[in-house]
Amino acid sequence: MEVEGRKVYSVRAFNSGVARYLNKLPTLWIEGEVTELRRQQRWASVFFTLKDPEDGACLPVQMPRGQFDALDLNLAEGERVHVFGRVELYEQRGELRLKALTIERFGLGAHLAALEQLKKKLAAEGLFAADKKRALPRYPRLIGLVTGNDAAAKKDVVTHIVQRFPPANILVAETYVQGHRAPASIATAIADLCRRGADVIVLARGGGSFEDLLPFSDERVVRAVATCAVPIVSAVGHEQDTPLCDLAADVRASTPTAAARLVVPDIVELRERLARARAGLHRGARNAAQRHVQRLDQTHERLRRAPLLALERKRARLDTLHGKLGTLSPTATLERGYAIVRRADEVVRNASQVSTGDPISVRVAEGTFGATVE
Amino acid sequence: MTFEEAAAELEQIVARLERGDAGVDELTKLWERGEELYRICAEKLEGVQGKIEELARSTQTDDQSG
Repeated sequence: MEVEGRKVYSVRAFNSGVARYLNKLPTLWIEGEVTELRRQQRWASVFFTLKDPEDGACLPVQMPRGQFDALDLNLAEGERVHVFGRVELYEQRGELRLKALTIERFGLGAHLAALEQLKKKLAAEGLFAADKKRALPRYPRLIGLVTGNDAAAKKDVVTHIVQRFPPANILVAETYVQGHRAPASIATAIADLCRRGADVIVLARGGGSFEDLLPFSDERVVRAVATCAVPIVSAVGHEQDTPLCDLAADVRASTPTAAARLVVPDIVELRERLARARAGLHRGARNAAQRHVQRLDQTHERLRRAPLLALERKRARLDTLHGKLGTLSPTATLERGYAIVRRADEVVRNASQVSTGDPISVRVAEGTFGATVE
Repeated sequence: MTFEEAAAELEQIVARLERGDAGVDELTKLWERGEELYRICAEKLEGVQGKIEELARSTQTDDQSG
């Protein structure tokens, strides 16, 4: 219609024009999370909103109830699906929506395959290497705890840490622990705690569905854990869960309670160990002193005896010499009647040594007498 | 003179006396020196032992009061 030279469309005509235009767009597969699912017995259609898990962009979806029920998917909030459909305009309200022809659960299989691929890639980069694992500090000064704001996991970890080691200092960073905002917020929290002086970090989250724990396998979180400036403990989910952050962490704890046992020493045990060490110290010092005393006593005893022993040995040597002297002396010969003749202290061996009138001394076995040479 | 120095010299003297190669005139001097060294060592040891016992007693007192 034409009003004052202007071409004007009625809303109805406009909407139906747009609808016709949109109908030319191809039928596509779209991936997203199911939210706001509305299904009622008296409604001809089932409605839900498909949400982008990365940035939260939304797309309304409609599907005839009969078709939806026939798929028998039993979809829950937050489940990731692939929807095959075509965009259309709900002309009555001028609203754009996706008319679903079929829905497939983006299954565990697809998730696992994606995870497996990421795992291989990060492993090839060395993020999970055993030689990268660091030992946790024995006596942490400041423990950083990354956890959900109302999580039972937080209470669990804090309670057990304080029970085991009352003087522990804990700095808690509350983050989203599921949904599309979780990965970035967890990665930021880890870096933040490092900056604020934590010397060990615990990443804790209680159990949850496979999808709930997906943020802990997100590449951003895994990289944040792997490059964390201080040792980090991953305490995510239960024993059977293995999110990728477990592989990148220095230590994995199967539960938040186990994490507490890893990061702080048991104060009771610590006291006992100290007491034992002190007792050992006293014992050791006493024994060492005792050994010195014994050794000194022995040396003293040796010192006491040594001079007498030395003297005795010298006397014995002297006696031996004296004995030898005896065998060498001429006494025995004199006993047999020989005499030693001396002239002026010189032993006379030759008659030419003396002249008539010389005084001589004669030594016999018993005594000495004088004589004159004739 | 430290305990170790005194003890080492004492051991040397005793060994020398026991070997018997010290001169007779030296014997008395060596023996006197040995006794002197023994006294030095014994005094030092007694001092240390006393301190250890004192420490052990005082830490036991700590435990009782704290």
